[in-house]
Parts: sequence; structure tokens; C-alpha cells
Amino acid sequence: MDILLILRTNKKLSMSETPLIQIRNLSKFYGAKQVLKNLSLDIYPGQVIGYIGPNGAGKSTTVKILTGLIPDFTGEVIVDGISMAKDPQRIKKLFGYVPENAEIYDVLTPLEYLDFIGKLYGMESNTLEERATKLLAAFGLANNVNDRMDTFSKGMKQKVLLIAGIIHNPKIIILDEPLSGLDANAVIVVKELILRLAKEGKTIFYCSHMMDVVEKVSDRIMLINKGEVIADGTFESLKQNHSDTLERIFSKLTGNEHSGDDASAIINALD
Amino acid sequence: MDKIYLKFIQLLNPVLSRTGVDTDQLYQILRIKLIIDERRPKVMFAQRQNNKKKVQSPWFVSFITVLMGIFIGLVLFLNKMPYVGQTIYFSVFMVLMSLTLISDFTTVLIDTRDQFIILPRPVNDRTIAVSRILHISIYVLRLALLQGLPGLVMIGFIDGLAAVPVFFIQILEVTFISIFLVNIVYLVLMKFVSPQKFKDIINYIQIAFSILIFGAYYLLPKLINVSILKNISILSHWFSYILPPVWITALNELLFHHERANMITSLLAIIGLVVPLFGLWLVAKVLAPGFNRRLSIIATSDGSAGTPAKVKTEGKSGLMDKIANLVATDPVENAGFRITWKLATRSREFKMKVYPAFGYIPIYFLYFTLNGKGQSLAERWENVKAGHNYIILAYLCIFLLMAALSNVAMSDRYKSAWVYYTTPISEPGKILSGMYKAILVIFFVPYSLFWGAVIVGIWGPAAINDVLLAILVGIIYGILMALFMIKGLPFSKPVMIKQSGGRIVTTLMTMILLGGIGVAHYFLMKWETVIWIAIIPFFLITWIMLHYYKKTTWESLEMAEDL
Repeated sequence: MDILLILRTNKKLSMSETPLIQIRNLSKFYGAKQVLKNLSLDIYPGQVIGYIGPNGAGKSTTVKILTGLIPDFTGEVIVDGISMAKDPQRIKKLFGYVPENAEIYDVLTPLEYLDFIGKLYGMESNTLEERATKLLAAFGLANNVNDRMDTFSKGMKQKVLLIAGIIHNPKIIILDEPLSGLDANAVIVVKELILRLAKEGKTIFYCSHMMDVVEKVSDRIMLINKGEVIADGTFESLKQNHSDTLERIFSKLTGNEHSGDDASAIINALD
Repeated sequence: MDKIYLKFIQLLNPVLSRTGVDTDQLYQILRIKLIIDERRPKVMFAQRQNNKKKVQSPWFVSFITVLMGIFIGLVLFLNKMPYVGQTIYFSVFMVLMSLTLISDFTTVLIDTRDQFIILPRPVNDRTIAVSRILHISIYVLRLALLQGLPGLVMIGFIDGLAAVPVFFIQILEVTFISIFLVNIVYLVLMKFVSPQKFKDIINYIQIAFSILIFGAYYLLPKLINVSILKNISILSHWFSYILPPVWITALNELLFHHERANMITSLLAIIGLVVPLFGLWLVAKVLAPGFNRRLSIIATSDGSAGTPAKVKTEGKSGLMDKIANLVATDPVENAGFRITWKLATRSREFKMKVYPAFGYIPIYFLYFTLNGKGQSLAERWENVKAGHNYIILAYLCIFLLMAALSNVAMSDRYKSAWVYYTTPISEPGKILSGMYKAILVIFFVPYSLFWGAVIVGIWGPAAINDVLLAILVGIIYGILMALFMIKGLPFSKPVMIKQSGGRIVTTLMTMILLGGIGVAHYFLMKWETVIWIAIIPFFLITWIMLHYYKKTTWESLEMAEDL
């Protein structure tokens, strides 16, 4: 199992002072509703960012703006010195994206799909096929390389999506609930992979509702609520200021401190 | 076949790359889209084939299209009077093409997955836009060539070899005009309705399309009198000057029938050449950009959970509540009634399979009854009115019940039916009877009453008892069918499930029973009182059977194997 060797990563980047991703005053409206309110953040190379927040907080919107899915926004997004508004295509090359909703052309086989994705990044046929085959094998899909994905389980599709997100060896990887549907072994592999990728200098933007995983893999945790960042720091620093587990910090800061009350209300409703 | 198109497009690479298209990416996107097309089941033929996983070979689809082309190509031989054959040919060609485009290609156009698969990759907007246009062009040209191929050959026999290349140009003209029309339909729909509604409307267009094809197949040969058609003088009607097929036909008239051509013919021929090109230009320059924008709105407002887009809210239906509580008093039965009502009226898949029956029934009726060789249409209709054949219409309504029943247990999302198996339902028959009552209440009974009212309107109140009896027979037949053939909870089985062996025999037996009752009814119709009296035992039988249907046990049900 060595996904990193397969990717043949570049030499480790040194932690530089200039942020890789700079977001300044980012706002986004859906009709009259403001989902992002002057969001500003800097992300440095080699960081694993745990991006968390309650449903509807603006997490997905941030991710969609970063990946170029939503082109109209106000504010500035600069990635590796390139402005998103000016040259989104060059930025997209730097990103690898594993979407949350598991959209995939499932009448294709994994190999056909990965070949297609890789070529959109301009990869050479030979490297691409070799890499795709090896990655599929590393994820335990060696026997399904030429099966159509409409017969795949959720976990198998998720593995293909993960591979599609890293196949071009991107500098920045955005993972939106990447563990959904995976079995325990695959979860261990992916968690280990995230840490190793970060060591190689990759920047990882990790969105999830699974607090225990975020707590373990992230160097820095950002909590967003109602379109604003309300906490930002290492797990240690968040602990000092707030509470002892990320779950508690989360509920305290997103205004649901009295989860005990909610539970009682639920119990009472059953009577 | 697809390889040829891709090769051909690669010839355009120098031009395309100058306009900012990444030709390698373009090639990849088109290649993958064509593969996906090939593996996708076609809507037009989906009804007739049961197995969803087994996709028809592209050759079969091509074959059917060519067959259609031969069928409509025959009218080309009606060329004694100017314009007749070709105008009809190109009209049908245009309608068929536009409807196929809308019903079969819409799903391709609004493939929401593109948003998440292609858009986050470094592909620029122009490449995506061009890939979409070329994808449509390939699809359309393939369709046009297959559908027009028989016509190309036939016109060679009719007007000589020189007419073949001209006919090819005419096919292109009609194709461009179809694209133009379809684009306008899309734009109008997108402008005025919400994305959710848009998909529903496309769904209804598909249903209307299948009814139209069905009706044309059964009724046109009965309604059209070839000898009249042959001598029709198209240009004597003012409106024919604004029909695109007439402009297109003018080119052939001008070049191969000079003797009957004049100034107006040349003028029409020029219009026929200019308008399609202008339409195409309009589509590419003016309509397409807005189109892509609207399209991406449809795509994003659908698949993304985070966007607070307008959610379709379903208001409380007071009527349904009242009916549900009235006919299904048991809570479990009530649940079965409501879930069937809601899923059946909201699921596009179910509508696509069942709603065409609404149109098939009157078509069948006219097909069976409008007989009489050599008589005019009015005379034949008088014959129908004089007879007692309305009973056929009353019994044909059962066809709708059959269509609804045979689809109600099936769904693409059959896995959601796990709830039936995890909840402590000791008598699944209650759900079944709720389901059956819902089908009666939303489809069969109102539809039968509608045609019943029509029948009484035309044939007089003496028909009331016949309609009532036919409805009762329908309900009884439906229960038999549900008992022996459906054997599934609402929307709980995959579309294809193994048919158990004895089923064909039971189907046949119940059909014979139904036929026997129908024939007996036909012969007893003379005695009004007999029919009125017969209603009583049939009502009792219906009631008893519903009672037993409610007692269906788990053992007699079939369920999906992979829940």
C-alpha cells in the first residue's frame, strides 16, 4: 500500500510565509440570503485544515467557490498568487476535489472514468493508465478495474472518487466527507494517507461532520457558523479556550450548549 | 461509428483551438459522452423492454430509426400534385425529430453530474460550451442521417440520381429548423417555469410523444384517405406559405419539376435555404449563451444540498385526507393508501409508464370501432353511434387499471421499501388493500366515470347500468390481477424481477374470465333490468374479494432480493 509512491510526489515544500490560499472578504448571496459574510482566511502549504460547521453554515458554499463551481461571488480568492476571478483554470489545476454527493458517471468502468478525469488535467496516457491501475489496486479494487460502476457499492464508488481527486497529484486537496461509505480498513488507510500527504507538503482542506476524525487529522480547525468563522486554531488552542473535546467545542460555539435540554425535549415528546 | 465523428471533429481542431478551445479536453469529453450515450437506455424504447440493465444495442436503435424512415419515406411517392409528398414527408420528419430530441436528449443536456465532475477540473467555459454543441450536433446528425437514409434512396428512384444530393441538403434544412424549434421550446420553458417544473413538463412531453406515436400508428391508416391526399392542392391554402416543410420542398420542385414551378417556387426555395441557416446562427449566437446559463441554474439548484434554493413544498391535500380517512379506516391500510397516492402522483418513472394509457384507451376504442370500408369518416362515426359498441370503451378503461397495477409494485428506488420489513406489520394485506384502493380512487374510477359520462352523453342514460357493471368487473379483475400477479408492496420491487413460472397461465386464465364476462355482458345488454340486477351480485363479489385481499400474508408476497 503505497499511494504516495505511486503519485511520485515532488520534493517536500518548505513551509513558506506566503499563504497558499488567501480569502479576503468573501461574500455570497442566494437571493436575499447571505450565506457567507465577509469571510477572510489564510491557508499555508502543508496544513491540514479541518473545516467544520453546522448544516447550512456555508461550508459547501466555500468549497464550491474554491473549486470554481460557483463563479459569482464578491471578495477575493487568491490561490498560489493567482486570482480566482481572473484565471480559474490555472487554479483548478492545483486542486484535487472529492465531492460530497458522490456524483460519478456510473455507466463507465473505474479505469475509463479515471482515464477521462486524468486527461482533463492533460495527463499523458501511459502515466495515467499506470497510475490509475496502481491506485485502484492500492485501494483494493484490482479485480473491478473493468467493471461498470453501476454495480459498485457506495464505498467502492467513494474509493474511485478519492482516486479521481488525487490522480493528477494536486497541490491542494479538498475532501468533502471523504469517508462516507468506507469500511473501517479503508478509513484507516485514508486517514493515514491524509497525514502522509500533508507531510509531503500538500495542503488539505477537510470538511466533515465527524468530529473525532477532524480532531485527529487536522493541524488547524476552522469552525464556521452562519457564514462567519467563529473559531480558528489548533485543536490544543481551541481546547484551552473552550472545552475538552471537539464535539463539545462545536456545540458550545454554535449555540447549542444545552444539548441536554434538546434531548430532554425529545424524551418528553415521546410521552 | 462514433470514431468517425470524433476523427471528423479533430479536423476542426485548428479552428477550434484558435477560438480558445482546449482540443484535447474537447476530444476526451466528447468521447466519454458518446460512450455514456451508447450505454444509456433510450426512453423511446424503454417501455417495451423490461430489463433495465440490458441496454439495447445501438444497432437495434438505429434499425428502428431506419425503419421509421422507410415508413415515412413512402409518402414521397405521392408526387403527382406539386409539393404533396415531400411536404408531408418533411412535416413528419420535423415532428419526429423534434420530439425525439426533447424526449430522449433532455436527460443528456441536463446531466447534473457534469457540475461536479467536469466543472471542478481545469476546463474552460468555451470548451464545455463547444463540447455541448458538438455533442448535440453528433446526436442530431446521426438521427437525421438514419431517419433520412431511406428517403435518400427513394428520391433517387422518383426524381433521378441528381435529386439525391439535393435531398441531402433538404434533410439538413429540416434538421436545422428542428434544432431551432427545440431550442425555442427549451428557452420558453426555462424562462417561465422552475427547474423542477421543467423536468415535469419534459416528462409530460415524453408521455404525449408516446401517445402520439401510438395514435399515428393505429389511427392514421384508418383516417387518411390516400386518394384524396394524392390530389390535394397544398398551395391553395394561404397558411401553407408559412410552413417550413413547404419552403424545404420548394427546392425540389424548382430543380426537378420546372414545368410546374414559378416565381413563388423560387422565392420559397430561397427562404428554405436562408431560414435554417439564420436559425442556426440565432441558436449559436443569441440563444445558446443564455441557454447554458439557465442550464447550469437547473443543474445547481437540483443536486446541491447546501444551496437554499426553492424547495418544492407539498401542501396538505385536504381532499386526499378526506378520501383516505373515508375509504381506508385502518391505520395500516390508511398508510398504504396515502403512500401509494403520493408516490404514484409524484414519481416521474411511474407516470412515464402509466400515463400513456390515458391516451391509448380512446385510441384503441376508435381503432376497434371505426370500421366500414369505402365509407366516409362521418358515416363510420354514425355507425358507431347507432351500435352498442360503447361497451368496448367501458371495458377498455380496465387497461388503465392494469397498467397502474403492473407498475405500482415496482420502482427504481425499491430499496426505500425497507420500512415495510422493519416495522411490525402482521397483516401486509392491509397495505395492499390501501394501495389498491388508492389506485382505484386516483386512476381507475375517475377515468371510468369520465368516459362513462361521455358514453351516457352520446348514447343516452340507458348506458348507465352498463358503465357501472363494467367498473365493478374492472375492480374484480384488478383484485385477481393483484392477488396472482403483482404480489408486492407499493414501490418495493426492482423494475426487473424474475417472473415465477405459472404466472403466464394465471394471466391467461384471468384474461379469459374478463373476456367471458365482457362478451356475456354484450349479449345481455338488450335487457336493461338484467344488467341492473347483475350489478348486485358483482358488488357483493367485489366487497368479499377486497375483504380477502386484505388478508394477504407475508408468505404470498415477493420482495426484492437485495434490500
